[in-house]
Amino acid sequence: MEPAEAEFLAEKELVTIVPNFSLDRIHLIGGDLGPFNPGLPVEVPVWLAINLKQRQKCRLIPPEWMDVEKLGEIRDQERKEDTFTLMPSPYYMELTKLLLNYASDNIPKADEIRTLVKDTWDTRIAKLRLSADSFVRQQEAHAKLDNLTLMEINTAGTFLTQALDHMYKLRTNLQPGESAHSQDF
Amino acid sequence: MRYGHTEGHTDVCFDDAGSCIVTCGSDGDVRIWENLDDDDPKSINVGEKAYSCALKNGRLITAVSNNTVQIHTFPEGAPDGILTRFTMNANHVIFNSDGTKIAAGSSDFMVKVVEVTDSSKQKTFRGHDAPVLSLSFDPRDVYLASASCDGSVRVWKIADQTCTTSWPLLQKCNDVINAKSVCRLGWQPGSGKLLAIPVDKVVKLYRRETWDSEFDLSDTFITQPLNVVAWSPCGQYLAGGSVDGSIVVWNVETQECIERMKHEKKYTICGLAWHPKYRQIAYTDTEGNLGLLENIGDGNKPNDKVTSTVTKDYNDLFDGEDDDYLNGDMIEPQSSPKTGANEDDGDDDDLMPTSGHLRRAIVDDDDNSLDIGMIKANSNLLEKEDEDDDDDQTGGFPALPPSSTQQPFYDGPMPTPKQKPFQSGSTPAHLMHRFMVWNSVGIIRCYNDEQDNAIDIEFHDTSIHHATHLPNSLNHTMADLSTEAVLLACESTEELASKLHCIHFSSWDANKEWTVDMPKDEDIEAICLGQGWAACATSALLVRVFTVGGVQREIFSLPGPVVSMAGHGEQLMIIYHRGTGFDGDQCLGVQLMELGKKKKQILHGDPLSLTKKSYLVWVGFSAEGTPCYVDSEGIVRMLNRGLGNSWIPVCNTREHCKGKSDHYWVVGIHENPQQLRCIPCKGARFPPTLPRPAVAILSFKLPYCQVTTEKGQMEEQYWRSVVFHNHVDYLSKNGYEFDENAKSQSVKEQQELLMKLFALSCKLEREFRCVELADLMTQNVVNLAIKYASRSRRLNLAQRLSEMAVEKASELAAALEDEEEEEDFRKHLNAGYSNSTTEWSRPPVRNVQQDQEMEDAEETDAYEEVEETPEVHKQRPNPFSKGVTSAEVTTPKSVVIASSSQGRVNPFKVSSNKKDPVLPSTNVLDTMSKYSKKTSLSSSRAVNKQNPPVIKPLIPKPKTKQALAASFFQARTPNSSEKTVEEREEKAGNESHEVKVTAQENTENKRPKTGFQMWLEENRANILTDNPDLNEAEVIKEGMSRFRMLSSEERMVWTEKAKGGTVNDLTENKKRKHPATDEDDVKKNQEQKSEDSNLSKKPKPLDQSTNVRLSAFAFKQS
Repeated sequence: MEPAEAEFLAEKELVTIVPNFSLDRIHLIGGDLGPFNPGLPVEVPVWLAINLKQRQKCRLIPPEWMDVEKLGEIRDQERKEDTFTLMPSPYYMELTKLLLNYASDNIPKADEIRTLVKDTWDTRIAKLRLSADSFVRQQEAHAKLDNLTLMEINTAGTFLTQALDHMYKLRTNLQPGESAHSQDF
Repeated sequence: MRYGHTEGHTDVCFDDAGSCIVTCGSDGDVRIWENLDDDDPKSINVGEKAYSCALKNGRLITAVSNNTVQIHTFPEGAPDGILTRFTMNANHVIFNSDGTKIAAGSSDFMVKVVEVTDSSKQKTFRGHDAPVLSLSFDPRDVYLASASCDGSVRVWKIADQTCTTSWPLLQKCNDVINAKSVCRLGWQPGSGKLLAIPVDKVVKLYRRETWDSEFDLSDTFITQPLNVVAWSPCGQYLAGGSVDGSIVVWNVETQECIERMKHEKKYTICGLAWHPKYRQIAYTDTEGNLGLLENIGDGNKPNDKVTSTVTKDYNDLFDGEDDDYLNGDMIEPQSSPKTGANEDDGDDDDLMPTSGHLRRAIVDDDDNSLDIGMIKANSNLLEKEDEDDDDDQTGGFPALPPSSTQQPFYDGPMPTPKQKPFQSGSTPAHLMHRFMVWNSVGIIRCYNDEQDNAIDIEFHDTSIHHATHLPNSLNHTMADLSTEAVLLACESTEELASKLHCIHFSSWDANKEWTVDMPKDEDIEAICLGQGWAACATSALLVRVFTVGGVQREIFSLPGPVVSMAGHGEQLMIIYHRGTGFDGDQCLGVQLMELGKKKKQILHGDPLSLTKKSYLVWVGFSAEGTPCYVDSEGIVRMLNRGLGNSWIPVCNTREHCKGKSDHYWVVGIHENPQQLRCIPCKGARFPPTLPRPAVAILSFKLPYCQVTTEKGQMEEQYWRSVVFHNHVDYLSKNGYEFDENAKSQSVKEQQELLMKLFALSCKLEREFRCVELADLMTQNVVNLAIKYASRSRRLNLAQRLSEMAVEKASELAAALEDEEEEEDFRKHLNAGYSNSTTEWSRPPVRNVQQDQEMEDAEETDAYEEVEETPEVHKQRPNPFSKGVTSAEVTTPKSVVIASSSQGRVNPFKVSSNKKDPVLPSTNVLDTMSKYSKKTSLSSSRAVNKQNPPVIKPLIPKPKTKQALAASFFQARTPNSSEKTVEEREEKAGNESHEVKVTAQENTENKRPKTGFQMWLEENRANILTDNPDLNEAEVIKEGMSRFRMLSSEERMVWTEKAKGGTVNDLTENKKRKHPATDEDDVKKNQEQKSEDSNLSKKPKPLDQSTNVRLSAFAFKQS
């Protein structure tokens, strides 16, 4: 899966916005949205929030976890533990990127948040690499990783599976190669 | 009383000259107050927490949380070293009488006496088994008394540090915070003859050397343990402060009580200090407030009478003792101002105003929740007194003595300072960044810092206007915002008059702004905007109304100083002070007027109900235009126009708060949907401007009893629905547009709740209650109720209900007749007048879904029914109401009644329907809830096709969606092709051409002729010859009146005829129907659509799906 696809999925997450226009309930395939009252917070999917934000039709209220203090704790926790910790949102990376890109003016301390999330992400990716490494080294048959988010799986997944395939081929080729060699004798 | 420190233990003392008050508190600051009004006291930070302080000879010693006792210079506040240290913090520090030594008692059970000049000379007193609470130096420096948490009070000899005596007087406890009382004991100044110890509710006095209990001082006024005692400097008076905030002063010699005072908030008094010269006591409480009690024992003479009448118990105490008192030592401090008049005159300005026997009261708890208006009010009050004071003095008298003899001792309710005018939705004006208004239109913020003095206007809905930034050069403090304009106002300054400034952004000309100056000495105090007008209330008790373009309009006087104003549409609401409130209550009045074409006053200065000891914090209108207000206790009240314009509490925002100091700051109220929009404020009364607060929505809840039970809950819901839809009636009465749909929805909701309540009462065998509930129902729901009652075999109940239904119907009809006789006629004409008594038995309430599915069964049903009992139906409109005579039924009038109120089902009729196997006792609610759910879920026609809920005991009998037509009294002929008849009816009912045109079946539709129609056909010619120039409608009208003049027998005959005819001759029917009735109907309907719309069963539903239409209809009121 492409990162873009993961991001697309993340856009279904709900965020709260404060619209500055008035609109009755709108009926969409995915469910009803609204009604939109100016000044009154309402929950909408990220894609709509971003769209409205770009048209300056709303003010975004950042998700509860998108807060310097909370993210600091999460980062520290992530660094402290060897395993993966549970993230506040399964799409934390995508949401951070999307919301900070399009609505950073509504998010207090946007830069700090970006750094914190990036730190957390780096820590987790490092852990992931480490565990992939030990997985390959110890020639394990299976491994279980909890609390990984979709985006993280995708960064490692494609490469890892292909690499494992190649390694498998190389290993299996070893024997037929030997036997072929022996035939020469 | 005023805020001094953050909450926690505090201590207070005067400096040697009495020129300032020194307090310390748990915020670690020592504050030096010039007087009680000193808004900028000097603060010395001495540590993290200060437990106790003492001041003598320019040295300030404090016991602080780092377990030391420190010295600071006074008044500079420079640190001057540490006197001693403990292993725990000291709880009390005191000076001896000459200021050479201090004593400190600590939580590590030790007491130390240290020489101030040489801290190496320490004496330690060991013996207490628990933290030491309080200490007192013997004025002769021989003994030291200490009280401790171990329950003992000990007297130590200072010289050899031995315990001289010990009394087990107090309750044992393990720590200072758990001690019931801090037991600040005191040695009588001067001789040191007596040691006063507060023990529970009395003060015990022990004699020096003998250590015998000499006597007790007590008073019935004291209901809680005493915390503190303090001797007056002369040693003649003793003041005691209790944990519930009472302060009592005794004359020790006579043991009489000369002063009683109650802390208005009943906080625990933890510090008491006498002024060294005057009869004043400064006190502090555990919430950090500082207060001053003045003119102790004033008016003792007149008081004699007052108190003796009030409390007879004291008669003996006051007997002839007054002279004694007046000659006592207390005179000395009084007369000292005389001797040193010059010096004191100067002092007096700094000192607390001493005239007037008054206790200051400011209602505030902490910094944030502090109500600025109040403080201002109070300081104004004080300023005035200062002036009075000066007058007194220029009169040649020192302040104290004259007033002391003239002022009667008054112990009654104390007047509350009047709350200052405010703008709803604004935060206090002293803030640098504040909201000037936050309402449903937008937000106005005001910035007033070094760089900028500006106003930011922002609209929730950017389509109204874009955000604006204005310089605030005039220093506007008030603002209001509507969809048309922004209104700003400022108070007058020395050069400039008070100004009203309006930015009329919706104006179509080039001049968007106007300004009006108030006359000299008239300050704007409150402003508001309505639709097309603006108003301001001024300090001259005037309300000035302007058009939004700036033309001056009405002007009128207010009965009292304004508190706040609000506008909505053409309504103007003004809250003002009706008088003086007492004991923390405000005394407010409200005026509500309409400034539209018809100017009228709706509320004429009625008293405004506020929660006890609260003040007004928000006043405004709901989005629908109903006046509302909120008090400081968080109760939201709304005008109930349905109950003689009374106020009903609709929400308690404090119930939603998590913390004790959390509040909700109301910004708007909506009735439909029911929303209370407010901003949650953690630990504050109002939000900061940054970070930008988010609006939360609270639901309303009327304070009904037992809302945890099903019954209470439904009652609450019902009445809430009623209250929150009062605005619909108001709007319709005043010719505003309103949402028909919402109205019918609410009626339906209410009737559903009633029906549920009815079913509940039925279950609980509360038949009387059932009847009471039925009384609230509309006609058609009563029918449902009758049905329910009969199905659940409550015949008595059913009988009573049907009687009631008939009564109701006749009342309704009478009312209708009175109001709109005309319309009645037409309606009946449309419907086909002769229709029939059989219709009586048709239940008008339909559950659409069920109806659809049940149609087949029902049809047979109905058919059978009519076949079986045709005469009965004719004769008796309601099988239950045996008392109703057939004559009555058959009179045209009663037919009219029936028509307007719709027919009624035969409640006894047990449906022979095989599809309907459910027991009669099944709950009607099941069907109802399913029904409503479905309608709300989807408005698609497909829903109609769904299977009906299984339970149908109460399903209204053979009702079809067309049943609405029953209101037009179509004869329901027992007809095998009933379905087509129904189609016809639907058409008529819908009053819709489209339906008619599109309905294929139309051609085969048979319309039963009514008796009247037949009669009319025969007599049309007659009418036309009599009045040749009549048009069709008038012909029918005329026909109607003629038909009515026939005797009931004759009409019966026609009715019979009509029936026979339809049954026997369908084809004829068909032929006739088209030219005559059908077209007539349609025409009539069109003509009278407007008039009929509220009477007819059916709203115009063209753009709605059937389902919605039908559901709306199902509970529609007749």
